Amino acid sequence: MNAGHVSIKDVLYEEPGPKLKKRIKAVTAMSTVLIILLFALMVHRFYITGQLDGKYWFFFGRLSTWRFLFRGLIGTVEVALTSGVLAFILGFILMTGRISGKKAAVKICTALIEFTRGVPTLLFVYFFFLVAPQFGLKLASFWKITLPVALSACGVVAEVLRSGVNAVPKGQREAALSLGMVERKVFLKIVFPQAFRYVIPALLSELVIVVKDTTFAYVVNFPDLMQNASVLISNYDAMLSVYLLAAVIYIIINYLLNKAAAYYAGHRKERSLL
Amino acid sequence: MSVYELLSEYGSRYVLALLTTWELTFFAAIISFVIGIVVTVMRVSPIKPLRAVSELYVQIFRNIPGASLLILLVYALPYLDVVLSYFACVLIAASLIPSAFCSEYLMAGINTIDPGQIEAARSLGMTFSQIIRKVVIPQALRFSVLPLTNLLVAIMLTTALASQVPLNPTDLTGIVSHINTHAVGGITAFMISAFLYCMTALVIGFAGNLIDRKVRLMR
Amino acid sequence: MIEIKKLNKYYGDHHVLKDIDLSVDKGEVVVIIGPSGSGKSTLCRTVNRLETIDSGEILIEGEPLPEDGKDLAAIRSKIGMVFQSFNLFAHKTILENVTLAPVEVLHKSHAEAKEEAMRLLKRVGVDSQADKYPIQLSGGQQQRVAIARSLAMNPKVMLFDEPTSALDPEMINEVLDVMTELADDGMTMMIVTHEMNFAKQVSDRVVFMDDGRILEINTPEKFFSEPGTDRARDFLESIKN
Repeated sequence: MNAGHVSIKDVLYEEPGPKLKKRIKAVTAMSTVLIILLFALMVHRFYITGQLDGKYWFFFGRLSTWRFLFRGLIGTVEVALTSGVLAFILGFILMTGRISGKKAAVKICTALIEFTRGVPTLLFVYFFFLVAPQFGLKLASFWKITLPVALSACGVVAEVLRSGVNAVPKGQREAALSLGMVERKVFLKIVFPQAFRYVIPALLSELVIVVKDTTFAYVVNFPDLMQNASVLISNYDAMLSVYLLAAVIYIIINYLLNKAAAYYAGHRKERSLL
Repeated sequence: MSVYELLSEYGSRYVLALLTTWELTFFAAIISFVIGIVVTVMRVSPIKPLRAVSELYVQIFRNIPGASLLILLVYALPYLDVVLSYFACVLIAASLIPSAFCSEYLMAGINTIDPGQIEAARSLGMTFSQIIRKVVIPQALRFSVLPLTNLLVAIMLTTALASQVPLNPTDLTGIVSHINTHAVGGITAFMISAFLYCMTALVIGFAGNLIDRKVRLMR
Repeated sequence: MIEIKKLNKYYGDHHVLKDIDLSVDKGEVVVIIGPSGSGKSTLCRTVNRLETIDSGEILIEGEPLPEDGKDLAAIRSKIGMVFQSFNLFAHKTILENVTLAPVEVLHKSHAEAKEEAMRLLKRVGVDSQADKYPIQLSGGQQQRVAIARSLAMNPKVMLFDEPTSALDPEMINEVLDVMTELADDGMTMMIVTHEMNFAKQVSDRVVFMDDGRILEINTPEKFFSEPGTDRARDFLESIKN
């Protein structure tokens, strides 16, 4: 009954009277039928095209299949985590430059942030895959995917961190300064740790984008989940089932990351209310 | 290769590539906004199955990687006897994923409206559709201008998926891959595309801020 | 005007309104008081069905309150409601806040609605703010606009749900003055409030509620000098300080 906890979703529709209740019931029944019909149609499509045939699915019962996919997944996780850490470091540097107050640093960092945010990951991938070798820069395929993914994420990370720093109450900095701490120490020990905690949910959301971007690993022939999936496909000639499964795995990973972000955000809110 | 050499040889291709990226962005934006609105209506409707399906839709498309979706559309769908043009595949991938985010932003916009205003409108005798049209949507849209601007940039970035299929003319990312596999385009080819992307993003961002400032005056 | 018979309401297991019987006659001002959590706000909100009821009856001008649809909207347009938190439409100017419903619901022309709105805004003393947005006004001004917005529908009865509880002390009187004027003009009013002096002055009858029940209905003179129940006496005692 606390007004603060009523969300708009709860009031948008008022408690229906008998007439409305009947109508809602009817529409509910209709839409249920429609949804089931659509689903049946999809399964039917799989059936008539022979995609439900056991030969497309039996190998999912084999441990070796999963082991192989899991190895790909490890590759994905390695790339994602390394990119994530790199993006964080780069983002941190760009952020400190942007808030440094030194004209040149602010300009350069702002430009770099806008640049990395305005260019698609794939373009960075092609830069490291096709352009960099022309300058004699020979990278392992791991770095050919990790570096572009990190680059394209670092601008967003910088902005996220900056918003966190801005959210820390000014009094915190002033209190620390008045205790005799030097500016750099105040930032690293007092301001940034708080800022970081504010933006953990946003950083996790950015990690989702990083995970998605790692799928471009096939461009540079790095064995990630997607790449190993295509090896399975050539072994079993089962395009649809394997790619569907790969998609589902990615969706689940990212869903969990988003859930973690939402959970952490909710958790924080609760604590700050106390 | 110098900028001059590159542009004299590939200049017209770059123009076409830019237009392709814009074209994909434009249509993907329209489609994803339309789907986003429909999905949002379903998510706030009192019909439980519609809520469930739309929620599932959002979770799938906000979490699926673009490459994964594109590959499914291009290579896997034909096994179900559904064959789409490459352009259509890219357009669909670049529409479905942002549509999920569009719905998320609209939901966030709706959630910022004070529930008391709905009760006030109701007690003035306004019907449900009047409340939606006159109170909810105008405010939700105002709150969503900046997120939707960012979404438009994200859509533009997503259209780079076009480089993964044979398209003629190709897009701004595809042309870099094309030039560098046929010649030694070097860093210049990359920089031209990057510059065009960034300019487009800046213009979108500028327009978004302008609109946002206009509609935000009242707060 | 309003008749409430044997009304019961539950929030889950919590019995918030217990066998409420109450009627408000045309031109009458009824003030509902009681400790917080006594159900007085909830009761007020059931009258235009912002809260549903579990049993009993609510009659408006002898007709049962419709449960949904256009009929309900039509009845609501004749019942003004003023909320604790004003609830002005944030995206509309003050003037538009007042003209929106007359144009949309009563299908008045814009010009006509505007003229009427300006007259009402003048009456509540905020006509100079007509082109501003709600956020630019003080709480007291916003609440007076909210009253004007309700009046623009030409209501037969007005419900006030703690209209001054969210206001800074110095703004309470400007709102109460507007309400007193309304009462003097013969408006039928049902008011939930904590302002005892105001209740004493304007009300024809005082309703005392506690724990979801109406414990006493009395004239203000009687109620404030010799309340009929211990609970009411304790309550009056407790708010004196």
